[in-house]
Amino acid sequence: MKDSYTLKSLAALLENNKISSKELTSEYLKNIENGKELNCYNTISQEKALVDAEKSDERRKSQNLRSKYDGIPIGIKDLFCTKGVTTTASSKILSNFVPNYESTVTQNCDNAGLISLGKLNCDEFAMGSTNKTSFFGSVKNPWKSVNSDNDLVPGGSSGGSAAAVSGDLCVASLGTDTGGSIRQPASFTGTVGLKPSYGRVSRWGIVAFASSLDQAGPITKTVEDAAILLDIISGHDEKDSTSSVNPKENYYENLNSDIKGMKIGIPKEFRSDKLPASTQKSWDECANLLKTNGAEIVDISLPHTMNALPAYYIIAPAEASSNLARYDGVRYGLRVKGNDLIDMYEKTRSEGFGDEVKRRILIGTYVLSSGYYDAYYIKAQKIRSLIKSDYVEAFKKVDAILTPSTPSTAFEIANEPSDPVQNYLNDIFTVPVNLAGLPGISIPYANDENNLPIGLQLITNSFEEQKLLNVAKNIEETINYSETPEKWWLK
Amino acid sequence: MEFDKKSLLKLGKLARISISDDKLNNLSKDLNSILEFVDQLKEIKTDQVDPISNSLNQKLEVRDDKVDTKNSAEDILENAPEKEMDFFVVPKVIE
Repeated sequence: MKDSYTLKSLAALLENNKISSKELTSEYLKNIENGKELNCYNTISQEKALVDAEKSDERRKSQNLRSKYDGIPIGIKDLFCTKGVTTTASSKILSNFVPNYESTVTQNCDNAGLISLGKLNCDEFAMGSTNKTSFFGSVKNPWKSVNSDNDLVPGGSSGGSAAAVSGDLCVASLGTDTGGSIRQPASFTGTVGLKPSYGRVSRWGIVAFASSLDQAGPITKTVEDAAILLDIISGHDEKDSTSSVNPKENYYENLNSDIKGMKIGIPKEFRSDKLPASTQKSWDECANLLKTNGAEIVDISLPHTMNALPAYYIIAPAEASSNLARYDGVRYGLRVKGNDLIDMYEKTRSEGFGDEVKRRILIGTYVLSSGYYDAYYIKAQKIRSLIKSDYVEAFKKVDAILTPSTPSTAFEIANEPSDPVQNYLNDIFTVPVNLAGLPGISIPYANDENNLPIGLQLITNSFEEQKLLNVAKNIEETINYSETPEKWWLK
Repeated sequence: MEFDKKSLLKLGKLARISISDDKLNNLSKDLNSILEFVDQLKEIKTDQVDPISNSLNQKLEVRDDKVDTKNSAEDILENAPEKEMDFFVVPKVIE
């Protein structure tokens, strides 16, 4: 029964009084308790969630609902500031931080009556692709390979958000995506992960990593649920000057899986001998399926694809070094005593940040420093311009682009490469989308020979989320992917 | 080798992160690996390309100059590691 829960199905159960919000919330809190080994949650809002659920049940009784989804509990990445609830960004430096304000996205969820079960583990300051950089330890992927009992990474940085949905520790969750942090973990856990266009969702109140790339989005079980949650969280926000004034659409209401006459691009630069055969097979099959369903498949070229990752690893650290300058031990967060003010800053930051965050701050400081600014930072911004032009040209020819989401399926936690650059390659297919500011979605397509989910990515032009969701829905309807992980943690 | 011990310590100073001696070797190895990776961009010709800092084709709007939030000192100081009256307390700066 549980496995079939979606935002859509729960809304119906609540509407027909088959279940109350309090019962539902208790059920998920029990799942969270039983699934502690997965390490998905940094903070569990047990009491608050139950109180909020009771209030929702009251609203339902008095026919005063905030939305159809009033009373459904979800999980929130620990990167969204939540009033009165600890918000750590999975970092030691923020481990005691309790915001006295609410991010716009989580406020929007509250306005729709959604209930927060708690804050989901992630890579520290959203920097990572395995969830291993979290101060609170790795999240375990609910999936396991048929050949081994070893724990697998859930992907990152929204690893807790993806693993929690996959393992039924929430029905849907909020994540953020700076270079693939929603789509890559969705791909590793057999869930649907949507990164909206830059500007579609407000960044206000989200712990900033790289401001020109960060975007919040949903991780869900179905494309319909992604549309529902996007409807709830998106829209213009005057508190975020980069939030778009483009009117938002009714994504769920307007879902239409008819793709007849659409053109779907297959970029040749994403092809690689290193791609696992099963991923290549899924990609080819999916293209054929879209063709059968009435779309035209077009070979396209995105010539600067391979330059995106190095450009990203200049731009994102540069912005991070600037954004993370605020953690100085003066106004909030950790303070480590020093002999003087500078010593206090240096000790606080050295103890408060983990290794990957320090690496990125140092690289970012370097590429912005006098003498290297033009050679690195400006150069990367020029490459970004070329990447954006690639997509502008491509979308003159096609409606959507289909690629694999990741260059591999989930791997063992113990096998994470020690060289940071090897880890960065996890995001090779997702990073260009952030640099160009486009919407992208990862949907589960099939399982590989080890029974691990393979995700495929769709990309459309800026603010064409509707088209993106429509094509994703078409694929979902056709393949009917219904694999779920065996709940080994309950044994 | 771009990052040796001396340049790394200078970078640490700029970023206000103290780096202990036992971390220097690994850190320089990691940072050099990242630098080598991003250095591949030097091969790309970009003389005729304008840089972009943002993907959004939207002019930043000017907001009306009106008060819409009342941030009280109490709220702002709520998470301060050390405070006194309405002030953040930091180690002494002037002798």
